Formats: sequence, C-alpha cells, structure tokens
Amino acid sequence: MKTSMTTVGLTLCLALGAAHAQDKAPDWGDKISEEAFLKAAKESFYLNKPEEFERLNDPSLAICNATHNRPDDAQVKEILGREQAAIVYPKDKALFGDWQKGKKWVEDVHGGRIGYPGFLDADDPHHANGGNCYACHAIDPNFPQAGNMGPPLTNYGKFRPKTEAMIKYTYDKVYNAKASNPCSLMPRYGNPRLLTPEQVADIVAFLLDPASPVNQPPVNAAK
Amino acid sequence: MKTIKRLALSLGLGLGVPAALMIGTTGALANSDEDKFAAYRDALGDENPGEFFIDDGKKFFHEKRGPKNENLEKCDFGLGPGVLKGAYAQLPRYFADTGKVETLEGRILGCMVKLQGFKEEDVLKMHYQNAGEEDSRPSELAAITSYIAAQSNGLKFDVKLEHAAEKNAYEMGKKMFWRRQGWMDLSCADCHANTQGKLLRGVELPDMTAPKTAGKVMTAFPAYVLKDANVRTQWWRNERCVLAMRLPWLKTGSELDAALTLYMSIFASQSDEKIQVPGIKPRA
Repeated sequence: MKTSMTTVGLTLCLALGAAHAQDKAPDWGDKISEEAFLKAAKESFYLNKPEEFERLNDPSLAICNATHNRPDDAQVKEILGREQAAIVYPKDKALFGDWQKGKKWVEDVHGGRIGYPGFLDADDPHHANGGNCYACHAIDPNFPQAGNMGPPLTNYGKFRPKTEAMIKYTYDKVYNAKASNPCSLMPRYGNPRLLTPEQVADIVAFLLDPASPVNQPPVNAAK
Repeated sequence: MKTIKRLALSLGLGLGVPAALMIGTTGALANSDEDKFAAYRDALGDENPGEFFIDDGKKFFHEKRGPKNENLEKCDFGLGPGVLKGAYAQLPRYFADTGKVETLEGRILGCMVKLQGFKEEDVLKMHYQNAGEEDSRPSELAAITSYIAAQSNGLKFDVKLEHAAEKNAYEMGKKMFWRRQGWMDLSCADCHANTQGKLLRGVELPDMTAPKTAGKVMTAFPAYVLKDANVRTQWWRNERCVLAMRLPWLKTGSELDAALTLYMSIFASQSDEKIQVPGIKPRA
C-alpha cells in the first residue's frame, strides 16, 4: 500500500512537473509590464478585426504568465471557476459522439490561423476546424506522426471504464483543459476557439469507444 | 525570372530522392532530422537555388528604382551608408535616425520608403502574400534581405546590447518569447526552450535559448525552403510560429518582431556558428 501511494505521488509530481519544466529561465521578461507589452503589441500586429487583439489578452493566461505557471490558491480558484463556467455541452446533452468523425477532428490541423488579406495559408472559417492533437499526443497507433509534449493516449479507452463520469471527465478535458489544471500546457479547444461541443463529443468517442482504432491493436503490426 | 523559378521548383521537388540515397551513403540511418537533412544539403553542394534570389536582390539593391528613381546604396545598416560587409552580423541594432531597434528587413523597408519613395504597404503586401506555402511568390524585400545577409557569410553573429533601447528590446523580446498567448495558450518557450527530446507532430524542435541550436537556426536565415521553392527570412520564421500559435499577423520589422529577433540573436551570438546564407531548409 505504501509503495503504491508513493508511486501515485511520484506520478502526480512528474505530471505537474512537466508543465513547469521551462522554469529554468530566470525570468519571463518580467521587467516589462503587461501594459508596456500590450502597447508594443498594438503596434506590432496587423489586425483584420479589433477582436483579434483579444487573443493577446486572456485573464487566465495573465495569471499563469505572472506566476510562471504557479498560481496561488486564490488564483487557482479564480481560473478554475472561470474556465469551468466556460464549458458548453451539446444541445442534446450527448457527450459521447461518433468516433469516426472524432478520428477526423483529431487529425485535422485547420482552424484559427489569422492571415494578412490575400495570404492563402490563413484558415477558412467556413471549413470545419480540427484539433491537430497529434502535434502533442500519440493517439491512433496507425497514425504515422505524433508529438510527445502531451501524454500518449493510445489505448486510452482500454484501461478506462466507459462510465458517465469518465465520459464527462474526458469531454471537459478536451473542451477546456484549464477547468481542471489551471495552467495546463494544453490549449482550450472549446468554443469560441476551435472545436464545437459536438466535435468534442466525437473526440470523446474516438478516445473511449472500444471499437475505435485508439483501443485496437495497430492494423499493420509487425508479425 | 520565370526560368529561375521553374529551375528552383524542379530542384525543390527532387527532395524525395536523396532521402533514400542518404541511408546508402552513411551506411545506417542518421540519428536526427538535422543529420539526415545535412546529408542532403551536402549532396546539393553549390546547387543552392537560393542563390538566384540573391542575384535578384543584388539587382534590386543597386538599380535605380521606385518613384524617386534611386538605388539603396545610401542606406545605412549600422556600419555607414552602403557598407554591407558584416552589417547583418550585428543586426538588430538601434538606429538614431529612426529612434528604433531595427532588423535587417525593417531597415531595408524603411530605406525603400525613404530613399526610393515606395509605399510601405505595397512592399509589405507582396512580402506578406509571399509568406504562404500554397501560393509562394517572389518578394523583393526577401531577395534584398538575402543579398545583404550574404555579405556577412563566414562571420559569427555579434549582436550587442549597448544602447538603452537595445537593452529594453532584449527584455521585450524575452517577454514575447516566454509569454503564453494566442488561441493555443502557448509561448514560444513551450516549444523552443528546454526542448531536449521534444517532438511536435514528429518534428524535432530547436532550442532557441541554447547558443548552439539558436546559432544553427539563425545563421541559416534567410534560407531557401524546399517545400515552398522560395527564400524565407527571419521575420517569416517568426511569423510561421505566430501563425501556429493563432496570434494575429506579426508585422515585418515591428517592435515585437525586432525584439524577438534580437533576443534570439543574443543566444546565436554566443555560439561559434557562422552565417552561411542562403541556408537550405526542408519545410516551414
């Protein structure tokens, strides 16, 4: 029992530590005030619409930046409260969607890229967005590329029961990772950013459905 | 120019073949992306398509052009009007005439406006539209930047923090680098500091706060990017990350572009890497 508690504790420390690995730097440009930075930013970014500037000025990230990802208890409460309130669920309350659609949302990289007028690599808002989840996670073992900045999610549903609580936990994590871990490295994907509630439900199914390739052996496994 | 572009394109498309060839020449799979690509770069030898863009830049720099029918030979890049040798190695720096810390690109842009009478928005429009992978176009500003940067080939970066404005820009650049922002909630540092072993969608990430890797990256820009069949500048490199962070569009030569470039140049200046442009890069 003692060993397993230590293991759990160690795992937690490692998981939390990963988010703070960058703290070797002496400061994050702390001599420059937020006000001075935002003034420089106003001059330095071309804006198609004034609201694009809001992407530089987020209240939860402001705390993470000011504390180097180590908010105090009151700040943790503030962030978790704000981010939990921001989670929106699908209209039919179905948090478990279609894994085949989820497979596509996870792979797609399209969404939210802002361009100068006439710049063709900017994202078309009429096109459904994707999460580009493979940038940071290994997921479907058949997918050829993966990043390792987030934990591997291969076999995610194999070792987790498909309970209502697990479905909600997974939904909330994908929709807004900062609702459970205030300065998580993981982006907040839910509206108004990249993914709709229905898309997030599809990704939940992709991760948890036993039929999803995430929870199946790789198709071309070496014999 | 049309022929040049076609030639450059055909060379760019040849990338797939040497990938297989490299395994043969080294006898085993090279151990990193950088090693693998270095073998291809060696195989290219003097056949760097980026050289064509430098030739264009030389022409654009010395020919009388623009509404004022002037060339750029009176432009001062920090070592005196028209002195190009070694100028890029000391940029960004503070310029008293503008009262700003400027990058090479920002400085050229200013001279094109002041000396030649070009409209800033016209120069930038092509430079910005040029930045796309799918519709890569030639940019005069990128060509001139490549030409001038190449006059520092063989030199190490030697960017200094002397003027108060340079010291302030360094701090501003540090904040730009470490501050989490944009719809991805990421800082530059999340991917480009303490990166040992980190992969982003299968791609290795250079640590821009470590002198050696910062030096390697920065001495290669402006670089010929094979995927785009075009030369790409340091501003472009900054903007491609800004784009992926889902931030608004970073203006070439703006205060934050200059500050970020200066911040990383200080690390590059601590390395032994020598400027060798145009570098060759596989992709964005």
